Order: sequence, then C-alpha cells, then structure tokens
Amino acid sequence: MELLTYTFVQYAFIGGIAMAVLAGLLGPFVVQSRQSIASDMFAHVALAGIGAALLVGASPWWGALPALIIVSSLIWWLLDSGKYSPDALAMFFLSGGLALALAFVHVARDTVFSFENYLFGSILTLTDIDLVAIVVSTALVVGMVWYLWYPLLGATQSPRYLIPFRHTPKVVQLLFFWLLAIVVWIGIKTIGGLLIGALLVIPVLTARNWATSFKKLVCISTAVSVVSVSLGLTIALYVDLPPSSLIIGTVIALFVLQAIAAPLVGRHSQV
Amino acid sequence: MNSPVIKVEQVSKAVAGRQLLVDVSFDIAERSLVSLIGPNGAGKSTLVKIILGLDKQYDGTVTIRQGERVQYVPQLGMDDQHQLPLSVYEYIAIATNSLYSQNKKPVNFEKTLTHVGVSVEKLHQSYTSLSGGERQRVAIARALLGDPTVLVLDEPLAAVDYASRSGLYELIRHLQQDHNMTVLLVSHDIDSVLPLSDQVLCLNKSLHTDCHPSEFKTTGGQINTTIHHHC
Repeated sequence: MELLTYTFVQYAFIGGIAMAVLAGLLGPFVVQSRQSIASDMFAHVALAGIGAALLVGASPWWGALPALIIVSSLIWWLLDSGKYSPDALAMFFLSGGLALALAFVHVARDTVFSFENYLFGSILTLTDIDLVAIVVSTALVVGMVWYLWYPLLGATQSPRYLIPFRHTPKVVQLLFFWLLAIVVWIGIKTIGGLLIGALLVIPVLTARNWATSFKKLVCISTAVSVVSVSLGLTIALYVDLPPSSLIIGTVIALFVLQAIAAPLVGRHSQV
Repeated sequence: MNSPVIKVEQVSKAVAGRQLLVDVSFDIAERSLVSLIGPNGAGKSTLVKIILGLDKQYDGTVTIRQGERVQYVPQLGMDDQHQLPLSVYEYIAIATNSLYSQNKKPVNFEKTLTHVGVSVEKLHQSYTSLSGGERQRVAIARALLGDPTVLVLDEPLAAVDYASRSGLYELIRHLQQDHNMTVLLVSHDIDSVLPLSDQVLCLNKSLHTDCHPSEFKTTGGQINTTIHHHC
C-alpha cells in the first residue's frame, strides 16, 4: 500500500480510471455501430499526428489530437458518401497512418522518441498537464454522451431500428466519431494505441449477457472496465509486467469468467 | 371531393440503365387502407422511399397533401444476433427524441403501448425478447408517438406468427377507422393483406391493376393482373 503514496502511481490510477470510464461508456456504442476496428484505425492515424508533431518540434501527444479530429471527420465524410466499405476505409487509414508516421519520425531524426510508448501506453509516466487534459476530456465526453444519449443511441443502431425519416442522424454520427477520437487520444497515452480496442470491446461482450437495456449495458461495461484497470494496475505494482498487458489480461479473464458463469445461472451466452 | 392524401403521378426511376419503376400513377384517398403488393424486386421499397421523401432521384411527381404527417413503420427483420440489449423504452425513446421527431406535443409511452395492446410492464423489458407480434405493435406505437395522419407499414405481418395476425389486422383497422388515419401497407404476400384492404395496387415495376379486394384473385400465388386495368 505504500506504493499508493507515490504521485506517479496516484496519477496512473486517476488516468487509468478516467480511461476505463470512457471506454466503458463509449464501448457499447462502438460495438453496436460495428465500428470496433475504428479505434485501431484512429490509433494508427494518431501515430501520424505524433510523427508530424515531432517534425515541427511540438509535443507528440498533443500533435495526435488535431490529426485525429481531422481524419475522423474525413472518414465520416467518406463513409457517408457510401462509395467505400468501412473495412476497406479502415485498412486504408490504418496502413496509411502507420506509413506516414514512420516517414515523419525518420525525417525528424529524434533519437529519444519511441513509438512503443504510444503503441503500448505509458500510464506510469503521466505528468500534471497530461492528467488535467485527461480529466477535462473525460468530463467533456461524459457530458456529451449524457446530453446526447438518445440521439447517439439512434445514430449507432442498426438501420432497421431507426425511423429512416426526415431527420437523419448524420451530424450525431460525426460527433460520435469525434468522441471516439478523443477516447483514442487518451488511450494512446494511458493503455496504448494497440490495446485501446480491447478495452472498448471486451467489457461490452462481458456485459451483454447481463443487461436488458442499453443503459444497463453501459453501466455494467463501465464497471467491468474500471475493475479491470484498477486490478491490472494494482497487480502491476507488485509484478514486473507492463501495466497495459495486465489490464487487458484482467479484462479477458473477467470475460472468460462470465462466459462460464452465464449458462450456470441461466443466462444465454453470446459473443 | 377532398384532394387525395398522397398523389403519385407518372413516377419512373432507372438506375444504371435498369428500370426500377415505369410510369407509376395512383391516388390514395383520405382514411383509406391501401395495399401495395408485388413480388420481390418489383420496386415497392423504391416507391416507398420516394413517397417518404428519402429518394429524390426520380422522374414524375409525388404530392403529399398539406398538413399531413407521414410516419413509417419499417419491416422487422429476422432476429439479429449482434443486436446489443435495448429496452422497449429505449427503442421508443430514440424516435421520439426532438432531434429525430417533428412531433412537438407531449407523449405518453404507457398510454400508447396500452393502445396498441402491449402491457405497460413490457416497457422496461428487452425489445429483442418480445415476440414478433409484440415487436410489430411496439414499432407501431413508436410511429403513433409521432402523431401521424398517414401510416406507411412495410411488411407488417412478415415477422408475425399466424395466430397473432388477426390481432394486428384489428389494430391496423382500428387506427384507420377510429383514428381517421390513412394507411399504406406494403407487402409481397397478397393473402396477408387482402382481408384488410380497401384498394390493392399491384406493382411490378409498373402498376398492373388497381382493383378492389372482392374482385381480386390469385392463382397459385401468381397475381392475376387481368382484372381492371389501372385507369
């Protein structure tokens, strides 16, 4: 418990729990709209933003934010045109983002920079400014989801659950992409760009057998996410393993546990 | 005589050289129950999209009478294994949200559910756990909360078991007769809509007949189009 008195550990818990709340909150919308792969795509786009920031001498993490907002808007526009399938677009931006990132970093010739911090997270190195940005962003995303709950629910449902009439949810879909971009931005700093997808998706799969409404699904997936991050971080204090891998390991363990328990208590198990 | 609620005049549509609709014209009178039938690929969905104003790329004119409020009840699909839990309340609330609904009047979910024959206890149950008939009724309830004067129902009996059909027939009739609604039913199954309809429109790219149910015959599932040519 003495370790909890260290500032970097406290910051890790605050940042990690903020990330967990965001993932648990937005995850059900991501899964329902079949955009699970989008988080991975956004993470790779963020790398291009990080590379560009290095090139101009700006803070890498802050460089990722404008790149994410611009590209998420572009992806929304391309998807809305109906000319490209979502998976093809995902691969285009996923590979394109990575290629651009490699090129930028090579040109920047920054010997200290390591992609690994953003691919797998660096939750134990959060600074004051990082933490303020994470907490403010979390409050913003939670507030937006709260305020726009039903429009977001409508914009991410399967088309047959909607009334395809007059007011289309296009603008809400754009907002949803921006919210997801902010979550990925926080994700690359905390849990890592390659692992954020797991925190968005697996708690939803864990929760779905136990919920009868979308609201309950969000509550349970948020709880699963927060428990996983807290438990993973706590274990990381005593075991010499990367916190991100322990967090994702905990998420997977909880999923397996519920998959075993669900049929035993008469819940239909689904993946 | 009152002007028709929906007036479709010489509507044609072609996509990439393929003709989807050819010179379709008909009127839908106030408080009538009209069925639009035709086999798969006949252009029913295309025509409905045009009537609802969702598709504007067509030749001809479609006129909805001033002041009419059209609500659409989409077809219920087969059970979707990937659908995440959604309560009946949430299913309805999406559509009544001010961003998606034009209805400014206050709405009462319980009252509307009771009206369509679904018990109020179902409001907080999972929508996907309901039977096909109940889901169809909830979908109609959701449309009713938009305060419509015209209801367009797409294949309302497709996902409903045979035993529940008569109840739904009664509900649709009740809405038309007792609530003065104009109803357009879209179906590929003539037998299911025949008992309900005041008028049947047979579509197969063009309109083949405009006939009254009593005169309408089917032979081995094939629509007999030799009766009353559309005038």
